[in-house]
Amino acid sequence: MAKKIGKLTIYFLLVCIGYIYLEPLIKMVSMAIMSSDDIIDPAVEWIARKPTFDNFKIAASVLKVKKSMITSLVFSASIAVLQTIVSAMTGYALSRFKFSGKKFWFTMILFTFIMPVTVLMIPRLMIFVGIRTVFGIQLLGTPIPQALMAVLGQGINGTILILIFWNFFNMIPYTLDEAAMIDGAGPFRVFYHIAVRLSLSTVLIVFLLAFVWNWNETYQAATYLGGKLELMPLKLASFDAVFNSESASAGGDLKLNEAYKMAATLISIAPLLILYAFVQKQFIQGIENTGITGE
Amino acid sequence: MANQKKKKKRKSSFQRRQNRLGYLFMAPWIIGFIVFAFIPFFMTFYLSFTDVKQDINGFNITFAGIKNYREAFFVNPDFTINLGSSLAMIIPYTVIIVIMSFILAMMLNSIQKGKSLFRTIYFLPVVVLSGPVMYQLMDLTTEAEGQTSKLEYTFVVRMIASYSQDIADVLVSLFENLSTILWFTGIPIVLFINGLQKINPSMFEAARIDSATSWQILWKIIIPIIRPTALIVTIFTIVQLGAMDKINAVLDQIQQMTSNTAGGLGYAAALSWIYSIIILAIIGLAVLLFRERKTKIKHYIWG
Repeated sequence: MAKKIGKLTIYFLLVCIGYIYLEPLIKMVSMAIMSSDDIIDPAVEWIARKPTFDNFKIAASVLKVKKSMITSLVFSASIAVLQTIVSAMTGYALSRFKFSGKKFWFTMILFTFIMPVTVLMIPRLMIFVGIRTVFGIQLLGTPIPQALMAVLGQGINGTILILIFWNFFNMIPYTLDEAAMIDGAGPFRVFYHIAVRLSLSTVLIVFLLAFVWNWNETYQAATYLGGKLELMPLKLASFDAVFNSESASAGGDLKLNEAYKMAATLISIAPLLILYAFVQKQFIQGIENTGITGE
Repeated sequence: MANQKKKKKRKSSFQRRQNRLGYLFMAPWIIGFIVFAFIPFFMTFYLSFTDVKQDINGFNITFAGIKNYREAFFVNPDFTINLGSSLAMIIPYTVIIVIMSFILAMMLNSIQKGKSLFRTIYFLPVVVLSGPVMYQLMDLTTEAEGQTSKLEYTFVVRMIASYSQDIADVLVSLFENLSTILWFTGIPIVLFINGLQKINPSMFEAARIDSATSWQILWKIIIPIIRPTALIVTIFTIVQLGAMDKINAVLDQIQQMTSNTAGGLGYAAALSWIYSIIILAIIGLAVLLFRERKTKIKHYIWG
């Protein structure tokens, strides 16, 4: 009996906390369809009296939704692909070869995770400005700096992605590699046909995590792109200011309120929510597979 | 003798092959590390002692001594204020996130039905977590509660406020932003559940036979075993919060100064250097806090 009550209490608490988790999202949806009267009406807390979808239209036009959505998708996906390839290679090297200095590089990989990226930003920026002054190629304001860093393994949360691959490759028996090598396969063939082909699910997981993290990353994106590439989260970050200036130039009868803000936020996270609805298992597995909790 | 020499040679050729292939696959990462992490790290340290001016010919760097540091701490009050508010966010948030995710992982680990559903809900924020989204949501809570929240009038808060207004403010903001804080627990919960599942169940059985209570099992078995996981979770959380722009005041200040390449890069370098050292120091503190106390374990075994 006591055990049953204990179980029930746990379920009750889990449901309550689950509500706290979802509350911002629920609130977001409920406020996004409120008219401006409902927003200022203190009697309206959750359910709009006059539900309206105009907020989404206005928010979408301020966000330039079509363009920024496609830009964000292409940008995050292509950087995620690059990050996936590089972390697979690095994870493979760490899992398969006993090269000298391996321990040192492994420590450095972990160290790059702890290192606050702020401290690296200024010299990185100076590198790209330097390239412009020396070679006359303008890289800032284009996605090239971030792509370059992704190719060279310095993308967002690269350490976690490497660890996921490293952990998975450790589980593939080395005899398979040997068999392929005896059959005359070169190192890259072994890498592709044995390691990558056997870990397609891991490749998907890493790609998804990298995609989401690149989508949500705004600090570096804002610095390297300087607003020249219209990414969804950056548009959201400047939503308040853009809304005010556009509304002022249009005659100023639209006042920025929570309804517009929430509609904009909802639009900006909609692709991620849809993605999560389909592949939530992979996301959770990905974090479980890092193996950083000790094997 | 000759045989031995041959053997040694063969081994070294194998080793050479391993070296070559290892570095072949590691090459992109190592190049990236050196160019985009190793050199910049020390470069920032050097730049923090200089004045960086940008002109048509590139950057004009002149040595300035500790001028930037003096300005950060004694002349310009912005930085110390922002740093204070950032730390007042990172430290309490980390404590709450680690404790809450541990409790939630324990609860999720003790149920069978609906486990994956709850886990899906708790993990959901991870995919939507970004600076701007957090900023909009936190903005929402502060605006919805009005200028002064109801919490500030409760007895406990007023009691604390009479002692120190700062602590009271931090407490009120913690409770108001509870949802947003909980949003950071997605990955920690999964890590904790993973760690909990690896504990050998026979240990609980043995403890039960020795008539240990659940409370004793928690403190003497689960927590010592889970400590390494807790350390990883703590480090992860500090890193995550330390890089979350828009809700981290120092980060925003540094970002603004960084994007303004025309001047003040030396000052920005000093600020980011100070901030990073503080973050690393907090991580170091966490490591000290969670490190395994070998003498104590011995005491349990022998005493």
